[in-house]
Amino acid sequence: MASSQKRGKLTKKDITRMGLYSIIEQSAFSFERMQAPGFTLSMLPAFKKIYGDSKEDLAEFMTYNMEFMNTEPHMATFLMGLILSMEENGEDRKLIEGIRNGLFGPFAGLGDAIFWFTLLPISAAICCSLAQDGSVLGPILYIVIWFIAAISRVFFARFGYNLGVKAVSRISESTKYLTKAAGILGVMVVGGLIPSYINVAFSENLKFGLGEGTTVQSVFDNILPNILPLAFVFLIYWLFKKKNGNVLIIILGIIAFSIAMSFLGWM
Amino acid sequence: MEITLFQGLMLTVVGFICGLDQCWEAFFWFRPMVVSFLAGIVLGDVQLGVACGAVAELSYLGLLSVGGTVPPDPLMAGMMTVVIAYTTGQSAETAIGLSLPFALLAQWMGIFFNTVYVGIAHRCDKLAAEGDANGFKRIVYAGILIKTSAIALLVFLCTYALQAPIQSFVNTFPEELIHGFEIAGGLLPAIGLGLLLMVTLKKENAPYLFLGFIMATFLVMPNVMPIAIVGVCLAFINYMYEKKIDNASATVTVNDIGGEENGI
Repeated sequence: MASSQKRGKLTKKDITRMGLYSIIEQSAFSFERMQAPGFTLSMLPAFKKIYGDSKEDLAEFMTYNMEFMNTEPHMATFLMGLILSMEENGEDRKLIEGIRNGLFGPFAGLGDAIFWFTLLPISAAICCSLAQDGSVLGPILYIVIWFIAAISRVFFARFGYNLGVKAVSRISESTKYLTKAAGILGVMVVGGLIPSYINVAFSENLKFGLGEGTTVQSVFDNILPNILPLAFVFLIYWLFKKKNGNVLIIILGIIAFSIAMSFLGWM
Repeated sequence: MEITLFQGLMLTVVGFICGLDQCWEAFFWFRPMVVSFLAGIVLGDVQLGVACGAVAELSYLGLLSVGGTVPPDPLMAGMMTVVIAYTTGQSAETAIGLSLPFALLAQWMGIFFNTVYVGIAHRCDKLAAEGDANGFKRIVYAGILIKTSAIALLVFLCTYALQAPIQSFVNTFPEELIHGFEIAGGLLPAIGLGLLLMVTLKKENAPYLFLGFIMATFLVMPNVMPIAIVGVCLAFINYMYEKKIDNASATVTVNDIGGEENGI
């Protein structure tokens, strides 16, 4: 770590800029890291202001931020603000990394609840009722509502940064414990995401002569509902961890497997 | 009515702008409500665009891009609903049904890019390790530019150049193949979660993974927030407990040393 050197200070304007720039957060989205490249890029200008052109810090910062990231784009800036406030204070990067990985899941849940499940249905319902009469007001109101929503990321950025600045001294006292706590939160949320992220079930028609009203899927459901998604995540985890699986091959394998299952009529 | 080359090119521009927004999910211009409106302006029939936008928006409201899965494409649905209604004179309700093959095609293109861009992520890793911020920026920008251009090109082909051939092409696809992509869409997010677990999962926190999983399986919840709150509680309990134990053992050690000293 090279955090002993002189660090720059971020202004409110820097945080506002980062919030606006974070519009690119979903650039270069892929199944493997999802938003990680855009998430990292969004923070780079502000990070450079803190650490200048120190290659060593830049490399460390970019590397841990290139880990998997999938959160709600509007609220991603909260996390960015928090991360930058801790970087500014020279916190241990292991701790920042732990907090980053522990918090994006909860924020994805919160953000989806606000923007996708509340604002989208309401704005669509209002604007559609206007538009069905052929009124141009429908789409225009829709554009205005979502423009304001897009700008809200600036406020989330400021909120995250200010919270980080205030809490940072208390955070650094108990780094070791907090890293563990963030790990618990992160892993638990991943467990909670499995049933909603992954959908896999055998076809209702797949019976294999199991008897009246019993299907292959119902056998699995009787053991534990969602056991297939859980098992599948662990299969992938095992392929990566123990077999050093190649991501591209695994993706192509999944697609081939799915099409085969579809032609067999098993799923 | 026929679509002129100029209109086709203008629709491509609309496709580019809305496609960029679709990648970013920033201003929600990729939703049928806005896409149809803009396409209606280009075609000179704003009323039609607004009406088609309302129908398509309502139809696609249930199909949300949540949790990394890719739904049949709302942008292409909004675009083609207007274009089909304009060229064939059908009602918006009929046109949205006819737009489905195009939306499927756009969805497959989305899956294609999300797969191929794994390569960009790996390239980013390398540049990150070198601390090459400018190279990093260039490759991310190249990624967004290529994907958005592909969306725009697809819009051009669907709206102007190859509308009828594309429609019949997609319709010749066997049902099983389309369903196969659906299954893959349900499985692919496991890649991301598996990789995330590579970083976060440790023997000591594995039980919490199952706690979260069991909660999500057996409780009816609107989103993952309740699990996150329970997670914060458990993490806090663990935090206080571990700190207490460490403090206690620290005190014991001090006392032991003290005792020995007294003994001597």
